[in-house]
Amino acid sequence: MTSVVAQTRDALPSGRRARRRIRWSLVALLGPAVVWLGIFVIVPLGFTVAMSFWKSTIFGTSPDFQFGNYREALASPLYLNLLLKTLRIGIVTTLISLALSYPVAYFLSMLKGKEKAALLLLLFMPFWTSYVVRTFIWLPILGRTGALNEFLMAVGLISEPLPWLIYNEGAIYLGLVYVYTLFMTLPIYLSIEKIDPRLIEAATDLGARPGWVFLRVILPLSWPGVIAGSLMVFLLAVSAYVTPQLLGGVSGIMFSNMIAAQFLNNNNWAMGAALSVVLSVVVLAILLVVGRWAGIQQVFTDGRTR
Amino acid sequence: MSSAAQKMFAASPRLRAALWIYAISFYVILYAPLLMIVVLSFNNSPIVGFPLHGFTIRWYQKVFATSEFLSAMVNSFAVGALAAVVSTGLALLLGLGFRRTFPLKSALFNLVLMPIVMPGIVGGIVLLLFFGYLNIRPSLYTTVLIAHINWVLPFAFLTLYPRVHNFDSTLEEAAMDLGARPLEVFIHIVFPIIRPAFIATMLFSFSLSFDEFVRTLFVTGYDRTIPVMFWSKIVDQLAPELPAMAVVIILISATMSLLGALVSQRASVRSQYVSGE
Repeated sequence: MTSVVAQTRDALPSGRRARRRIRWSLVALLGPAVVWLGIFVIVPLGFTVAMSFWKSTIFGTSPDFQFGNYREALASPLYLNLLLKTLRIGIVTTLISLALSYPVAYFLSMLKGKEKAALLLLLFMPFWTSYVVRTFIWLPILGRTGALNEFLMAVGLISEPLPWLIYNEGAIYLGLVYVYTLFMTLPIYLSIEKIDPRLIEAATDLGARPGWVFLRVILPLSWPGVIAGSLMVFLLAVSAYVTPQLLGGVSGIMFSNMIAAQFLNNNNWAMGAALSVVLSVVVLAILLVVGRWAGIQQVFTDGRTR
Repeated sequence: MSSAAQKMFAASPRLRAALWIYAISFYVILYAPLLMIVVLSFNNSPIVGFPLHGFTIRWYQKVFATSEFLSAMVNSFAVGALAAVVSTGLALLLGLGFRRTFPLKSALFNLVLMPIVMPGIVGGIVLLLFFGYLNIRPSLYTTVLIAHINWVLPFAFLTLYPRVHNFDSTLEEAAMDLGARPLEVFIHIVFPIIRPAFIATMLFSFSLSFDEFVRTLFVTGYDRTIPVMFWSKIVDQLAPELPAMAVVIILISATMSLLGALVSQRASVRSQYVSGE
């Protein structure tokens, strides 16, 4: 009998002990990730912000606090124009991707059973593979000796290869949409799936035509998916490095390529830090404004990659 | 039982047909470049591109005889496995913690997701600057691994958290009432049920790490991962074995993700069964 009593006392500790145990177990659960993120995300980020105020010369980077890098980044037309161009590419990529993805998302949600599962899987598959590889594959398609030129010449539409298929902004759009469009299709598909079919019935019963039902019921209710997908694609597109480097050509660089150049060519680490901060702040500001407007946490739990 | 879209399209077969045609062309454009690269990988020509000069498997032989490729493969598998284990482990602990309420919970949520939001190149640059200042040389098991875990952790958390969150807590309470300690409850009740989700998350994490490039490029030391090695081959010269290499890389990451999806399918069936959703 006594052992049972002891066990019961053990299993049901007094209130304070229980609270303390719960607090400690919470520390044990959250602690490792918090420490990790603190050391390897927050501290390096803080250090980058600090270094963005330093000065790089040919002798190295020295810690004197000054605003020179930011003055240059925001006043020089070189950086400012590139930032605007990068944002424009981000917006256009998002719009193209939205226009192409919405009908596919809609199509997928009208399917049933095995057909639906198979086509969803077929949609996912290409996006599960390296984006470096999926960007590279456009080189032998768009290049001078590429598939497209060979095809057009074989058909007789052109007599010599078209040089403008690659190394321009159009090729960047093609590359970015090809690589990132799933991030648009998926959240839209998920939000259309969530719409209560009885709403459609109700609208139809009340005499609404299909086009009208789409405009007044389905489109507004799939809006969260549109916002989530647009944010994801925009964020990915403005951060693009690989696509402009491979498909954009000499004048086709974007902001990330300029950041990279500070480390690879100019050896100006302080400027690289400042440009990194500028890009991050712009991206974060856009995310916060749009996110506040659309409910940011929902954006991320719905917009996740699978 | 039918979805909203199904309802809509039962009514208008013409629109249905139009959507089918559109979707088929969408899938064709999605897959045509991939098929093209498979064709080119067997092309018997020293120049990447057309015209086709007959069938050969020599580019595949060359890929598997290239020591650079083989060592990059070993590096990518090692980093991918470590990144998957660490980030899935951290994500599981976080997920269990997030079932409770605590101060600054939403701030921590945003912090966990930050590496997704940060521009990719910045994710690498901050580590380059920080470790450079500490005089720690970039290498596979320091900077590259850290960059990969930073990148994979938020996805692992987003994949695992819903599974842990939807878990039926009456099972745990029953075990607790019968006198089990929290750790025993976790080992005997919680973990066996979420194990498929845990394994699926590890496979997804591996494939994310395997494909990671822009965060890795600037913190790579002597040992390259597969995407970094592939990149240097594109930038140096368009080597003729590149299409074959691309096909091998695609096959590996697609297989990993497909495995992840299969396990995750099983996991969701099981969690529905357990949580009675």
